[in-house]
Amino acid sequence: MTVTTQAAPAATQEQEMLISGSEAIAEALTLADIDVVTAYPIRPYDTVMQAIAKKISGGKLVAEYIVAEGEHSQFEIVKHASTVGARVFCGSSGVGWAYAMECLVVTPALRVPMVAMVGNRALDDPGAFGVEHNDALFVRDLGWLLCWIDSSQEALDTTLIAYRVAEDRRIFLPIAISADGAFLTHSQAITKVPSKSLVDKFLPPYNRGDLQLHPDNPITVAPQVNEDWVIEIRRQNNAATERAYTVIEEAYADFRRVFGRGPENPWFEEYMTEDAEIILMGMGTLSLPVKVAIRKMRQEGKKVGLIRLRWFRPFPYEQLARALGTAKAIGVIDRDYSFGSPFGSGVVATEVRAALYNAERRPPLIGFICGLGGREVTLEDVYKTTEICYSAAKAGKTEQATYWLGVRE
Amino acid sequence: MTMSTLIAERHPSDPLFRADRLPHIWCPGCGIGPAMHAYAQAMVESGIPLARHVCVSGIGCTGRVPGYLNMDSYHTTHGRAIPFAMAIALVKPELEVTVYSGDGDLFAIGGNHFIHAARRNVDINVICINNFNYGMTGGQVGPTTPMGARATTAPFGNYEQPFNLPHLAAATGAVFVARWTSLHLRQLKQAMLRAMKKRGFTFIEVLAPCPVGFGRPNDIGDAMEEMTLYREGCVVDPAAPLDSLDIDLRVKDRPIVLGNFVDVERPVFDPLAMMRPTSEAENNTAVAGKTQEGQ
Repeated sequence: MTVTTQAAPAATQEQEMLISGSEAIAEALTLADIDVVTAYPIRPYDTVMQAIAKKISGGKLVAEYIVAEGEHSQFEIVKHASTVGARVFCGSSGVGWAYAMECLVVTPALRVPMVAMVGNRALDDPGAFGVEHNDALFVRDLGWLLCWIDSSQEALDTTLIAYRVAEDRRIFLPIAISADGAFLTHSQAITKVPSKSLVDKFLPPYNRGDLQLHPDNPITVAPQVNEDWVIEIRRQNNAATERAYTVIEEAYADFRRVFGRGPENPWFEEYMTEDAEIILMGMGTLSLPVKVAIRKMRQEGKKVGLIRLRWFRPFPYEQLARALGTAKAIGVIDRDYSFGSPFGSGVVATEVRAALYNAERRPPLIGFICGLGGREVTLEDVYKTTEICYSAAKAGKTEQATYWLGVRE
Repeated sequence: MTMSTLIAERHPSDPLFRADRLPHIWCPGCGIGPAMHAYAQAMVESGIPLARHVCVSGIGCTGRVPGYLNMDSYHTTHGRAIPFAMAIALVKPELEVTVYSGDGDLFAIGGNHFIHAARRNVDINVICINNFNYGMTGGQVGPTTPMGARATTAPFGNYEQPFNLPHLAAATGAVFVARWTSLHLRQLKQAMLRAMKKRGFTFIEVLAPCPVGFGRPNDIGDAMEEMTLYREGCVVDPAAPLDSLDIDLRVKDRPIVLGNFVDVERPVFDPLAMMRPTSEAENNTAVAGKTQEGQ
């Protein structure tokens, strides 16, 4: 249910609404005036497709809404719509995202600026509806830009920013916005919803230029090039991903200029890190229990801080190396797994270790795997994490590289 | 006689179910439970030992059926129950393999497998609970949603032509095709028995109430009302032309036709037949423990 409350006095062009993460994305899609959306139900992503259907039936959004017969066709349809110049949206969760994999591979390779939402969900088997991040991480090496959000407000803002970045001619890559299943997709919070005129100042229309399929502009999309051109095209994709560092920073700066809010640092949120001896890291909604635990530990004199990573691709390795360099120990909480990985760590811990390899200071780093399958990351888990980090800080090294927390023996 | 003596300690079907998996996930008034019980009874009455029955499902509310049955069962990936079942039936032809899944699973994401398994006449039974929507994910429109019916993703009413499932099954090669509802449990059980006795690809559509996903947006007050709709709106007509079996709830007094519509013979899919000596290939219908009954 959507409840409209009084308009925020600071920004008269924004109204406050009590909406879930999924409804916030639907608000952003309405403001971005998307043209084509495809749907196939899977929890928790289905909440977004229903919210969009309501927008269309309520006359707030005029868009082609195509109910596909599976995720594979769902992603194929929007991909091609984008090549003819339509602003598109798609999304899925867990194994649904996995079933679309062939299309997910092709989308960045064809430089299609699709924006997708992944309602993070554990992969089958064994089945669970709860959050794990492995689904979205499938595409991390393929040219998709990947980010994680942790509030309805960030859901709305990031969706607008995502179109701006993806449709930038310097980029033309798809962006997947990850939202923790249930914890964010289904949880409501007061959210500032800007006016269309304000959004128009930030988000220009999608212009595919000479790459647009049109009878007056005959081009072939996705021709077979064999060894003649594959490596050159891969390098172009890599260059576009590298340009994303600049384009993302520009987009966030412009967002702050137009809307008068939003983070200065697009890459990650820092919470009480200025003087932190222990820095905990993670992505998504686990920031909530971590922040609560930090506030309690600060009362006991423990200097603990949090870095919540927003953008995973491109990975902000230089910024992270600077932000983490002053810590005495780092604890990375992964809501994912990477079996057989270096040190048996989760994906984020492994990436952060790599990011620190060339850094001047490399504090001890411990990986924690926690909250899989939708299990809660509890305050106790965070206290335990911090305790282990303090031991490593004292010893100046990690005795055990990876811990699984909150697991029944 | 005290009241307690009227309460049976055990239900005759208890051994067929996994009580430790209860409570089940289905909503009050859901039609899957009665149809599952009809299947359990049919297995008992089939004369085929329970150990030779296998139940395979895809994903969704109906997909949970194998998990509640105390037998060899498989909860496969979304839409892929038929390929799993096909593999079991080919490797172990002595088993009685039944796919038990929902309309969304079998005819949207898994539709391709259905038509090819029917075309090949693979020796499996497919039982489809059709509740006209994707129930588990919250009542979205699907390929069997009747024209005009509302769903969470069809707020103006469905405008896409749905499948006429018996017609589709017959056209693609099924040797036995039936449609019943979760109100017509005896006829449903008899159809299941016929399917189990028959070699080749058999298909049974079971119309079932989904009071939460389908009933609520379509002004069907509760499961009783949908059952009443079946009782009053269904006619049994096995001779009805297959192309007349569409379900259109918009048209008042248009009947929903039920019956066993198709019961024919066709060579059963047997990819190794040509590699066997001729005499053996000719006898391939007499697979150990499972013989074809006459009409």
